[in-house]
Amino acid sequence: MRFGSFSEMTGYYAERTPDSPALVFEEGGSVKALSFSAFHGRIRERAEELKSAAVLGAGSGAEGPAGVRCVGVFCTGSLDCVVDILAAARAGFQQVLLDPMASDELLKEQIGLSGADMLLGDEDLAEEFEEFLRPAGQAPDLKAGRILFFTSGTTASARAVALSEASLCCSAYNGGSLLPLDPSDRLLLMLPLNHVFGFVCGLLWPLSCGASAALGRGPRHYADDMAFFRPTAVSLVPLLLGFLLKNGLLNEELRLMLIGAGECPPALIRAVKDKGIRVSFGYGLTETSSGLALSLGDDPYALTVCPDDEIRIASDGEIMVRAPGSMMEGYYRDPEATARAFSDGWLMTGDLGLIGEGGRLWITGRKKDIFVLPDGTKVYLPEYEAKLSEVLAGRDFALFMKDGAVCLAVSGGKSEEDGIAEAVLPLMKTLPRGQQIRRILMTGAIPRTATGKVRRWALAEEVN
Amino acid sequence: MNREEILKKTVEVIYECVPEMEGTELSEESVINTDTAIDSMGFTMVICRLEGIFGIKIPDRQWTKLSTLGDVISAIEKQLKKQGRLA
Repeated sequence: MRFGSFSEMTGYYAERTPDSPALVFEEGGSVKALSFSAFHGRIRERAEELKSAAVLGAGSGAEGPAGVRCVGVFCTGSLDCVVDILAAARAGFQQVLLDPMASDELLKEQIGLSGADMLLGDEDLAEEFEEFLRPAGQAPDLKAGRILFFTSGTTASARAVALSEASLCCSAYNGGSLLPLDPSDRLLLMLPLNHVFGFVCGLLWPLSCGASAALGRGPRHYADDMAFFRPTAVSLVPLLLGFLLKNGLLNEELRLMLIGAGECPPALIRAVKDKGIRVSFGYGLTETSSGLALSLGDDPYALTVCPDDEIRIASDGEIMVRAPGSMMEGYYRDPEATARAFSDGWLMTGDLGLIGEGGRLWITGRKKDIFVLPDGTKVYLPEYEAKLSEVLAGRDFALFMKDGAVCLAVSGGKSEEDGIAEAVLPLMKTLPRGQQIRRILMTGAIPRTATGKVRRWALAEEVN
Repeated sequence: MNREEILKKTVEVIYECVPEMEGTELSEESVINTDTAIDSMGFTMVICRLEGIFGIKIPDRQWTKLSTLGDVISAIEKQLKKQGRLA
């Protein structure tokens, strides 16, 4: 079904299948369910509470133009958190979805940039970050129903992508029309809601089909959530899939798996298929509210473009996208970056691809200087390498990726490796785990193209 | 229980949860996400297992601040002290 807002979605099923479970969650060690009727009722109630501002945990009471407020929600993945997000949208607030595990510095920056004037989702965190809320009297660019997603953990400055209820619902419709779920399906949400892939493919996709979303209990339960919730479908990033497979954690009821947010090794896909589970691979961007194309047939890398989206390939191989229903409004408060992202109305994705048989899309690589790690995190190389140049002054070096890990190549002899490792160690301690250098390659000259660009693939080939 | 015993137990857990690490020499200074190539999933398993063994809970937000093996041991010590199980 196509919906224009979250409330329309939950209201539709509250009317037609009121007793069907919308959310499944853990309470007191047991699996509990919240019906569409009860879920929709809770959202309405909470929206009224938020509008009256009577129950706000922390906030300055500042308002933007025409009374619009901006709420920051710490995405803990709990039932209350899900209700808060949908209720804030219903209340007509702008909101920003925050990662409760992010560093203090990142959260401060994101709260400040978004113009949040109240915080929800975790009382302790709300209190801790209250001082960084927008003071009363300041009125930044706020818009009812706008939802900000920060592009995943980068070394770059915080950049928020401005999406909306309508764009996110459109993306869910796109996914559901190609990969419909049955109302009896239960999709396990293991990914964070502050990532658009988790939000759309872990929450909105099942809800838009009248199926239920099981709210995973976070990293502590990665190993037992499948057995606990017994899902029939799941959306995963490759890293998590590898973990589940390695430890034999896929439950026997599972019939459908959607993998996205990064390259997935063929061996993992084969292992899932061997268990009789249908595997679909998804390609999408935060800028397009997640999904653009999904694989539907036997070849997991042959992607069918979603119904509302249009894709073409530029002369240099870059994938260009038009997605009228699910395209971002722009990068929040960054019109220059927004303008740079488009060419003649087409979003330049920075990914390389080709269109083959039946109009299907194959992703062949990346044009931008970005690594996408197996957990979906993006690493912006120019900024990372600028930081490294401060500690490797005068050395010729380059970053490359091998087997999903960030590696560093330095021109020099093997005997210098320990010194290099020691020099970069303080910087590593400041970086998220996945972005830290896992391997150092001492090599001859760093291979470059005629125009001076590093041939990173050649470095990766040098490592056995 | 003292810091050395916690270190010993922690190293045992790393070897158990990340078998490919068995035999790798680890010290408090080891940056466990680079020196030992423990990925984030392995790291999650290690911390969860340690929480179970020591009967503690390391707050989620502290996980991201744990870099070296010494950091992990300090976090365990802090929780044990809170419970009055460590002087």
